[in-house]
Amino acid sequence: MSKPTTPPYDAWLERHGEQLSQGRKPVFQTPSGLTIDPVYTPDHLAREGWDYERDVGYPGEQPYTRGFTPSGYRAQLWKTEMYAGFGSAEDANQRYRYLMSQGTTGGISIALDLPTQIGYDSDHEMARDEVGQIGVALTSLDDVERVFEGIPLEQVGHIFSTANAIGPIVCAWLLALYEKRGTPTGDCIVQLQNDPIKEYVARGTQFLPIEAALKLTTDMIQHCRTAAPEWLPISVSGSHMKQAGASCVQEAAFTICNGIAYVESCLARGMQIDDFGHVLELHFCTEMDFFEEVAKYRAVRKVWTRLVRERFGGTTERAQRFRLHAATSGRPLTAQQPLNNIARITLQALAQILGGCEQTRTASFDEALGIPTQEAARTSIRANQIIAYESGVPDTVDPLGGSYYLEHLTLQYERRIDAIIAEVDAMGGSLEAVRQGYFQRALSEGAYREACAIESGEQVVVGVNRYQSDEPAPMPTFKVDPTAAERQVAKLQAVRARRDAQAVEHGLARLKADCAAGANVMPALLECVKAYATIGEIADVWREVFGVYVPEAVRF
Amino acid sequence: MNAQPPIRGPRPIRVVLTKVGLDGHDRGVKVIAQALRDAGMEVIYAGLRRTADDIARIVLEEDADVLGLSILSGAVVPLTTRVAQALKAREIDDVLLVVGGIVPSAAQEELAGMGIRGVFGPGTTLSDIVDYIHHNAPRLRDYKEQQP
Repeated sequence: MSKPTTPPYDAWLERHGEQLSQGRKPVFQTPSGLTIDPVYTPDHLAREGWDYERDVGYPGEQPYTRGFTPSGYRAQLWKTEMYAGFGSAEDANQRYRYLMSQGTTGGISIALDLPTQIGYDSDHEMARDEVGQIGVALTSLDDVERVFEGIPLEQVGHIFSTANAIGPIVCAWLLALYEKRGTPTGDCIVQLQNDPIKEYVARGTQFLPIEAALKLTTDMIQHCRTAAPEWLPISVSGSHMKQAGASCVQEAAFTICNGIAYVESCLARGMQIDDFGHVLELHFCTEMDFFEEVAKYRAVRKVWTRLVRERFGGTTERAQRFRLHAATSGRPLTAQQPLNNIARITLQALAQILGGCEQTRTASFDEALGIPTQEAARTSIRANQIIAYESGVPDTVDPLGGSYYLEHLTLQYERRIDAIIAEVDAMGGSLEAVRQGYFQRALSEGAYREACAIESGEQVVVGVNRYQSDEPAPMPTFKVDPTAAERQVAKLQAVRARRDAQAVEHGLARLKADCAAGANVMPALLECVKAYATIGEIADVWREVFGVYVPEAVRF
Repeated sequence: MNAQPPIRGPRPIRVVLTKVGLDGHDRGVKVIAQALRDAGMEVIYAGLRRTADDIARIVLEEDADVLGLSILSGAVVPLTTRVAQALKAREIDDVLLVVGGIVPSAAQEELAGMGIRGVFGPGTTLSDIVDYIHHNAPRLRDYKEQQP
């Protein structure tokens, strides 16, 4: 018998053992905790049983690792979207017009203020000091009409908003707006986040018990299938969990677990995955570890499409091709030396583009200081355009495919995501994982680990714990017009005074009855919003029927 | 006075942390919670969107030595003022009030005027916060709960 030969990679390690042991760091690891070898070779892939046809395949074909379309960005560049909104509807309207004039291709992406997101009218006691501060204040159909005043919807093409607990209300507003304007729903695609589960984990705008929130989300998805079949009624989001401390692998896995909960809720209504799989969207954010991020997007396509086939019984290709939405993350951006953030944003944008995302949002370099100035927002649009038109990156599909490192990482990602899904399944699914605080614990532990690593200097943040500068950076920051809140409250009170009070009362009574009966709330919501019922009035009906979210005290 | 000598050592410093206002970003406050825990304190994170009166009640119930407010929304002065008033209304005068989050320098001065000096903005190290609390948490409570 011949002696087994040492694999070439191991032999290389032996030949250079001494030099290889003298690295810059004691261990090389991705932020998700995967060990990084000094170099990747065909041996690495062989050891994992990697198979090109099975694990990677071709663009536009299963397992979709290389993207959902055969020609990728050769046919169509990614859509560039800028998330914006502040003050009252008129203020936001001006910014949207500006962004569109600068070449955004992803339509209008609406940031809402906190009172709106939590279902409070602008003059509610809890809304004090917060109206129009971190997004635009929308309280009734009147505000929604003003946001889009003078903007032809068919030219916008796409409207997005981070409406979560209030997703169905915003959906009803937009359905009513389209109806009033006579715009066909297919002329401008509406895409609402409508993902309340992760709010209980990270983002914090939940105001109902989680079971009620899931029911309302499902109502909206179901209603849109007939009322606006082109719209994307949910965007299951990992981005906020990542920014609150989830690792890149956890971000992907937790999002997929939440996605499973929404799909199962739809299936339990008798909906068929073949009818709604293609309107589901998964949304992630891109942070600084370049290859981890690229691997994540490739692995997520692979895992979700497999779930659609094997777990949800999807039979069509269309049902598997969900929408993959990516945003650069505001979190790694630093208040110190803010221009450095242009480099960070560009790297993140490049990673999500190399990951094959069709729609991407980009943060602005001054986001650690406040709402972006026009100049900062424009610079981010330009970063996308420079990648698109100057770098050559989009000229072939999945150009990093076949990189030993990336393929190895993609495989590791897929396995780790599967392992976390199995763990959450064993717990009883996402809702139970939230109730037990499993996701929340993972996030806060991750955030603490990172804070300690930055404090000890083990993790370098340029300009923050290394290469600090004493030079003061004169940076113009954006200020929301201080009169915006006053103007907003005055408009709201005028709407209340001029609307047909009986119509409002009728709508709200119908909503209450439908909620209590367990019926789909969307038809009653439409009646309410058309009568100019306010968001607070509608949310109060929900609170009355479903109860309210009670914050839980946690002992550390 | 016939004071009994304490038969057990001082209890750990007890800290209530919470968010006020509508902002739901609690990454920072949970990081602080773990840092204080690892420094030997007992930490209760009371969660999101607590009203001022809610917070005062929790401070009483938990017999807290320290109350930390996390505020990122920009409304730091009005929100902190409301909490300070609620503490006063319940006659709580022996709790150390500290504030963390985004605190513009003008707000920092106003808070100092209210006697609040533990104000921690972005870039504060965890060890600075731990040290501040160790040096300033009310000590008189340490021997309060004596068992015969």
